[in-house]
Amino acid sequence: MSVSIPGLEDAGCIMLFGYNPAASHPIVARRIVRAKQKGAKIIVIDPRYIETARIADIYIRINNGSNIAFLNAFANACVEGGYIDKEFIEEHTTGFDAWYETIKKYTPENTQKITGVDPATLRAAAKMYATSETGSVLGYGMGVCQQLQNVETVHTIASLACVTHNIGRPNSGVAPVRGQNNVQGSCDMGMLPNMYPGYQKVTDPKVREKFAKAWGVPVEKLSDHIGYRLTDVGENAAAGKVHAFYNFGEDPLQTEPDADELKKQLQGLDLLICQDIFMTQTCEIADVILPGTSWGEHDGVFSASDRTFQRFTAAVPPKGECRHDWQIFSEISTRMGYPMHYENTKEIWDEMRSLCPNFYGATYEKMEGLGYAQWPITSTDPDDHGTPTLFLGGTFTTPDHKAHLMAHDWEHPTELPDEDYPLILCTVREVGHYSCRSMTGNCKALSVLADEPGFIQIHPEDAAARGIEDGQIVRAWSRRGETYTRAHLNPRINKGTVYMTYQWWVGKCNRLTLHHTDNRSHTPEDKFSACNVEAIADQTWAEKHVAKEYAELKGRLADEAAAQEVAPKGEPVLA
Amino acid sequence: MEKHYAVCPYCGAGCKLNLCVEDGKVVKAEALDGITNQGELCLKGLEGFDFINDTKILTPRITHPMMRRTKDAPLERVTWDEALDFVATKLSEIKAKYGPDSIMLTGSSRGPGNEANYVMQKFTRACIGTNNIDNCART
Repeated sequence: MSVSIPGLEDAGCIMLFGYNPAASHPIVARRIVRAKQKGAKIIVIDPRYIETARIADIYIRINNGSNIAFLNAFANACVEGGYIDKEFIEEHTTGFDAWYETIKKYTPENTQKITGVDPATLRAAAKMYATSETGSVLGYGMGVCQQLQNVETVHTIASLACVTHNIGRPNSGVAPVRGQNNVQGSCDMGMLPNMYPGYQKVTDPKVREKFAKAWGVPVEKLSDHIGYRLTDVGENAAAGKVHAFYNFGEDPLQTEPDADELKKQLQGLDLLICQDIFMTQTCEIADVILPGTSWGEHDGVFSASDRTFQRFTAAVPPKGECRHDWQIFSEISTRMGYPMHYENTKEIWDEMRSLCPNFYGATYEKMEGLGYAQWPITSTDPDDHGTPTLFLGGTFTTPDHKAHLMAHDWEHPTELPDEDYPLILCTVREVGHYSCRSMTGNCKALSVLADEPGFIQIHPEDAAARGIEDGQIVRAWSRRGETYTRAHLNPRINKGTVYMTYQWWVGKCNRLTLHHTDNRSHTPEDKFSACNVEAIADQTWAEKHVAKEYAELKGRLADEAAAQEVAPKGEPVLA
Repeated sequence: MEKHYAVCPYCGAGCKLNLCVEDGKVVKAEALDGITNQGELCLKGLEGFDFINDTKILTPRITHPMMRRTKDAPLERVTWDEALDFVATKLSEIKAKYGPDSIMLTGSSRGPGNEANYVMQKFTRACIGTNNIDNCART
């Protein structure tokens, strides 16, 4: 996020595009309500009439899969209406003419067929977003990122913020809000195939030299090329490129697309290591399972979506023989000939800070108790808490410090609906459960709110055409696989679309989803694939079938985990 | 009742809370006045803590190292030494046979925290010798 979460409530206008904060980030949604109370205009653009749409000044229902066409027309309307800031464009951006060559082709009128949006409403929203005196924030989520043209859409959003000068001044900017609590932190820490910690490029020889020196390894030992992406691990395993997969705290067989195919691919690995706190479906096929400590059993720092580092502490001792994740990595590394040893997380954090100039000022002392540090933060001065808003004054992180405007032509999504698979499947989030559900599914209060086989949201007209009633179990299937789930009739979605959340193990949407990733970010197109849904006449059978599948799955995982109750026999497994 | 400050392990809003402990068990989460949450928590923040206690409602906690003798064999509990030796030996063999880029590793964007992730990428880059490390940012 270029802006901070607290700062959202001081914006003059908040425009949400493919982002549903009420389900994904309730405490961020609360800031948007506060902004509204303080006089901000709210615009919501989404294929669903999401909760925030209820308080929006303008709500635009957009066709699924039309993001770039819509945003190009929106930018076009900003130019046409004279809402762009020519002085800012001249001084702080490059490439306007080439950008406009693409944008001018997309008018509110000629894109209406693709987007389904009335031109007058689009123009009103463009005016509202672009002309806010206080400043506008454009918030987006997975509705942008999990599409075929994800990177292109981010380029377009950033360019839109630039040409209207809704970035580079207070109370304005772009706000992609992160899904998992520490996905920002994983990226900050260089859990990326192209970046060292602190967003330092692996392909930069100077960066490699710095890390080689600090880590005491010859620089030739550090790989000079970008590594593989996690979303390609199945294909790389099948192609014989990847032989071992060390899976740390992930459950790809629940969270990644086309899960049935992925399972086969991972089963073909020479070695699958899972380091986790729960017996997940991915642990079930692991060769080795290493028990890490849980949140609540260890100390550390998380990064919130708005770049805020905050400390968390252990409340209870580790269960059984669980060890801290960093201890486990250090011990394996030492056994493999590269000794690592740390006494505590502060020692690790201080090493990291010393290598990342933008994080250097985030000391443990500053983050004691309710303290925080928001990067970039270079000073260790106890009163310096960092940078709430990025790019103030229009200074960007490019070599020429200018924003490079980018525009792209719209392309249709990869798998369009057809006669056999007439419905568009979109995966989304829900408020009471989280990610692969291993955590929330084991919480008493949350587990009683909703349970297997989860839900599929379907438009009442599509349900009526199939003889489906609200609450019934239905069969949903695609070219990849099938699943049973419960119909939730929802008039707030587009006709011809269905929505599933990815928490459910029996009603698993990822048996249906398409594994197609874009060339640049390798993000799966989870927001758009084709499927069908049918009613099941015998609901008694369906209820029993689902209950049986759920009991079998839970039983299997419990049986696997029961092995840990039997002490080692003394004879080494690896003789 | 003991109280330990923490940050919510669910979405990316960074809500600060206290974990309240009684008889060695986390029994309650209470909101703190953090910079992003100002004394508020959502449903998951308030009610999403008891998985730590191994409730076994959905699936059990893993509390001991386990491994299989062969691909199709059932899991067996092993000592830490044995599990760590096995992993180190196998990874070294695979690296020697197919090169460092034949090994893929992940970070975890959930409960472990930044320090665990830093050490994991250091292990990946300095010990294994690959940049094949990634996280779930895309899903």
